[in-house]
Amino acid sequence: MRRRPPGRRLLTSVILIAALAVFLFPVAWMFLTSFKSNPEFFAYPPVFIPKSFALTNYVDAMRFPPDGRGGIQGVRDSLIISVGSMVASVVVGVPAAYSFARFRTGGENLSFWVLSTRMFPPVASALPLFLVFKVLHLLDTHWALILANTIFNLPFVIWLLKGFFEDLPVELEEAAVIDGTTIFGAFRRIALPLVGPGLVVTALFSFIFTWNEFMFALLFTRRDVRTLTIIVPSLVGGHEILWGQVAAVGVVAIIPNVLLALLLQRFLVRGLTLGAVKG
Amino acid sequence: METRVGRDVPAPQPAGRVARGFRLTPVLMVLPAVVVLLAITVFPLVSTLRLTVMSWELTTGFPPQFVGLQNFARAFFHDPRFWNAMMNTGVLVVVGVGLQTLIGMGLALELHQLGRLRTFVLSLLLIPVMIAPVIAGFQFRMIYNDQFGPLNYLLDQFTGGRFHGYAWLADPRVALGAVIFTDVWQWTPFMTLVVLAGLQAIPAELLEAAEVDGATGPQTLWRVMLPLLLPVIVIGVLVRFMDTFKLFDIVYQLTAGGPGNVTETIAYYTYLEGFKFFSLGYTSALAFIQLVVITVVAQVFLRYQKRVRAGMAT
Repeated sequence: MRRRPPGRRLLTSVILIAALAVFLFPVAWMFLTSFKSNPEFFAYPPVFIPKSFALTNYVDAMRFPPDGRGGIQGVRDSLIISVGSMVASVVVGVPAAYSFARFRTGGENLSFWVLSTRMFPPVASALPLFLVFKVLHLLDTHWALILANTIFNLPFVIWLLKGFFEDLPVELEEAAVIDGTTIFGAFRRIALPLVGPGLVVTALFSFIFTWNEFMFALLFTRRDVRTLTIIVPSLVGGHEILWGQVAAVGVVAIIPNVLLALLLQRFLVRGLTLGAVKG
Repeated sequence: METRVGRDVPAPQPAGRVARGFRLTPVLMVLPAVVVLLAITVFPLVSTLRLTVMSWELTTGFPPQFVGLQNFARAFFHDPRFWNAMMNTGVLVVVGVGLQTLIGMGLALELHQLGRLRTFVLSLLLIPVMIAPVIAGFQFRMIYNDQFGPLNYLLDQFTGGRFHGYAWLADPRVALGAVIFTDVWQWTPFMTLVVLAGLQAIPAELLEAAEVDGATGPQTLWRVMLPLLLPVIVIGVLVRFMDTFKLFDIVYQLTAGGPGNVTETIAYYTYLEGFKFFSLGYTSALAFIQLVVITVVAQVFLRYQKRVRAGMAT
């Protein structure tokens, strides 16, 4: 690379620092707000740094009225649904991904059809799913959301894992089959342990997609099940908005996301483009 | 055209190297997933299609009635609100994704100059991409707040208080812009990430060759880098197109389609028709129209991805 003049390098630093400020400010503002008392929020000029960093808002937000379950219910329900659909989509998806990667089962068309189901607009399947869940009495249960999210994550899981399996050398499995293992044995004892890191990455992505999901949670739940993505907007709608507490719920809601942004960075481009671009 | 994306992409394994002839196991391994996906795509598709030719208004209590193609006629010829929603969505897609691509590319080029800090800065930039759109909407609810929001306060400092009390989300002229800005804030780093991956895949020899041949900086960018980056940019734009076309969460949290319906997207309008006005037949027709649009774009995406992958294999 050519040497860049110091002026140009300074410009790069300025641009990137400005970009970091713009892209992190809203998150930082929510974080700061989560510690503000109500008078501090309703102040002009706005208070940037709250006086105390006590966890009052967090404690209150976790068990606000009417039923005293508030935020803690959101954490519980979001966890149950995200973990449930993560496990389900991985269990169903892994064998399919392996089969597509190694045997081209159903040809290119089948695997591309699987990917295309990922692009189905959720609002188009919301109504039929709603009617089915109503008949099965699954509305307002964890099952409805686990099912709906599993369905939407499955194509993603299959497609991403297919790429990870294709990255593995095929020779080990061939040797095992020649030595008399069944295909399923080669998959279970050789390919599966080797694809471990890819499996973890895929599972975490699936977790985050469900964790972030909003429309299904809005339509298929009412009172018994309330994810964090439902609780936050429902608190902003009312007359007296306790901004500090809502922000506290918001901060809790983005903890896994921030962790994964930092941990999964190397795989983000692959996950977010459905394996189309490998970083 | 030879295109290369990503670094260590293996050639596809020749089919049937492990298995010679037909084996049952691979089919059995695919079966559960295919059954599940068939159930959720074919079933909603059929039931949606069946409903598109019905009039079924839950609010009136009349039983479903066959109306032929009237639901589609209503959308295309008698419903200005449908076209309004389509227009808003179109503006969001064109302006929003356009800005994301341009700013994202610029940031990627700058970030590419960075040494060891690159990974760290990129990680921080990617936080918006990872968080739930609803939470992003909530954050901007606070930032746009007319009385106590930091945005108006900062603008006040430069304009002598002209922005004090200005309600961004209540002004029909700028509300859609505020929604677009939120979406651009959330997804620009995604384009940065994609373009950066493309930049890293460009062989250093190519750039050196350009330099030896006396190409200036802008020439190298336009004639050498951009053509090589094009495949990843197209992939990124298509992914964003499909997502932005479905935009719902941010609208729900920021403006609920208002003021009036200047920020109503097609996904949000469909939601209103289905779950607020309970016109099941009409909702299905709207859903079906979106399905067609998405399917067309998805096909382009898939074909393109096939081509890019094929290009890499050579």
